[in-house]
Amino acid sequence: MSNRTLTFNIFRFDPYRPEVAPYMQSFSVEELDGMTVFVALNKIRETEDTAIKFDFVCRASICGSCAMLINGRPQLACKTLTRNLPKKITLMPLPVFKLIGDLSVDTGAWFRHLSLKTKSWIHTDKAFDPQVLEERMDNQTALDIYEAERCIECGCCIASCATANIMEDFWGAAGINRVARFMIDPRDGRSGKEYFEVIGSEQGAFGCMGLMACDDLCPMELPLQMQLAFVRRKMLGLGFKV
Amino acid sequence: MKLQHLLTKDSKTEFYYEVLELIAGLFLVVFLTLHILFVSTIILGPDVFDALAQGMDAYHLGTIFKSLVIVAFFAHFIVAGRRIPTRVREQGIVWRHAKLLRHPNTWAWVFQVITGMAILVLGAIHIWVVFTNSPTGAMGSAMRVQAGYLWFYIALIPLSFYHAGVGLYRQFVKWGWFPRKPVGYIIIVITLTIIAIGSVALWAFMQLEVS
Repeated sequence: MSNRTLTFNIFRFDPYRPEVAPYMQSFSVEELDGMTVFVALNKIRETEDTAIKFDFVCRASICGSCAMLINGRPQLACKTLTRNLPKKITLMPLPVFKLIGDLSVDTGAWFRHLSLKTKSWIHTDKAFDPQVLEERMDNQTALDIYEAERCIECGCCIASCATANIMEDFWGAAGINRVARFMIDPRDGRSGKEYFEVIGSEQGAFGCMGLMACDDLCPMELPLQMQLAFVRRKMLGLGFKV
Repeated sequence: MKLQHLLTKDSKTEFYYEVLELIAGLFLVVFLTLHILFVSTIILGPDVFDALAQGMDAYHLGTIFKSLVIVAFFAHFIVAGRRIPTRVREQGIVWRHAKLLRHPNTWAWVFQVITGMAILVLGAIHIWVVFTNSPTGAMGSAMRVQAGYLWFYIALIPLSFYHAGVGLYRQFVKWGWFPRKPVGYIIIVITLTIIAIGSVALWAFMQLEVS
C-alpha cells in the first residue's frame, strides 16, 4: 500500500478562552498501514500539539468515548480506518453534547440524565433473596435484551439526529432503545401506564421523525429502526388503553 | 420539573397528534393517488373523463371527498407542521447538520419540509380554483391547462408526489411495518410512475381541442 500524506483539519476551541473564536487547524500525518483516526490523533498529539483534546479509553470500540464527526459524520475514531477516507480529513466534536474543548465532549452527563429520566433500572416489588437461584428467562428474550444492551452510549445516534440537534430534551435512539430493553425484560414490573408516562411523549417515542440517520450511522449497527418502531407501536396500543 | 412543563403535562395530546398525523397523511396519499389516476382518464379520452366525473357527482362523491380533503389538508398542515424548524436558529442548525451529515434520508426530509410549504400555497390555490369551477369537466379543465395553468401543474404534480412519497416512506419507517430499504425502492418506482402518468395527462389536456 502506498502511504499517503494525510491532512487533518481539526476543530479547535477552548470554552475557557471564549475570546478565541473556534477555528480549524491543519496537521499533516504520514499514513501507516492499518492506521485509524485514533492512531493519527495520538501521533498529532505526540509530535505536533500536546494540548489537543480528544477522548478515548479502550481503542477497541467498546467504550464509545472517541466518537466524533469524521468528515461530518459521527463515527468512532478507533474504528475508522484512514484508508477508507480521502486524503483530507475533517474532525469536529459531536454536536448536541456539552463541548469540553477541541474534539472532546461530555456524553457522560447527558447519558446519566437520560438514565434518570427513563428510570433505567429494573422496577420490581419482589424482595431480593441472595440464597435463591435467579428465575430462568426464555433464551430469545435474553438475546433480545442483549441486542439492545450492546449500545455503548457513544452518542453517534444523538449527534446524527436532526430532532436531537434542535430539541434539547429529546432522548433519541439511545434513550428509546434503552426503554425498549426494559419493556421486554420480564423482571421489570412497570405497567403500561407507567411506560406511557415515561416514553409516550414528544421527548420520547413521538419525537422521532423517522430520518434514520441513527440507524444508518450506529457504529455498533444496532437495529435502531426496529427498536424505535417497536416502542412506537407499543405506545399506539397503550395510548388507546391508558 | 418546571412549572409550565408540570402544568401542561398531558402526554395524551402528543399521542393524538401522532395518530392524527398518521391518519391524515395516509388519507392524503390515498386521495392524491386516486385523484391523479382519475384525472388521468383524460388519456383515454374526454368522454371517459366526463363519465367518471358525472358518475362521481351522481353519488356526491366529489363533494364528500372535497370536504374531507379540505379538513385533512389543513389538519395535516397543523399536525405535521409542528415538526417544521421555524426559528432562525433551528433552521441554521438543520442546514448545517444536513450538509455535514450528507445523509440521503435527512436531505429527503429537508426537501419534504420545503415542498410542504410550497404545496400549502399551490394546493390551496388548486383547491380554490377547482371548487369555484364546479362541476368538473374535460373541456373546462383543458381550457384551464391551456390558458396557462400548465406551468402551475408542472410544478404541483412533482412537488405533491415527492412530498407524499417521502411522507409515506417515513410513516412506514417510523411504525416499522416493513423493512425500510425495499419499501423505499418500491415507493420511488410508484412515485416516478405516477408523475409520468400525470405528465401524460397534462399533455393530453394540451392536445384537446377546446371549443
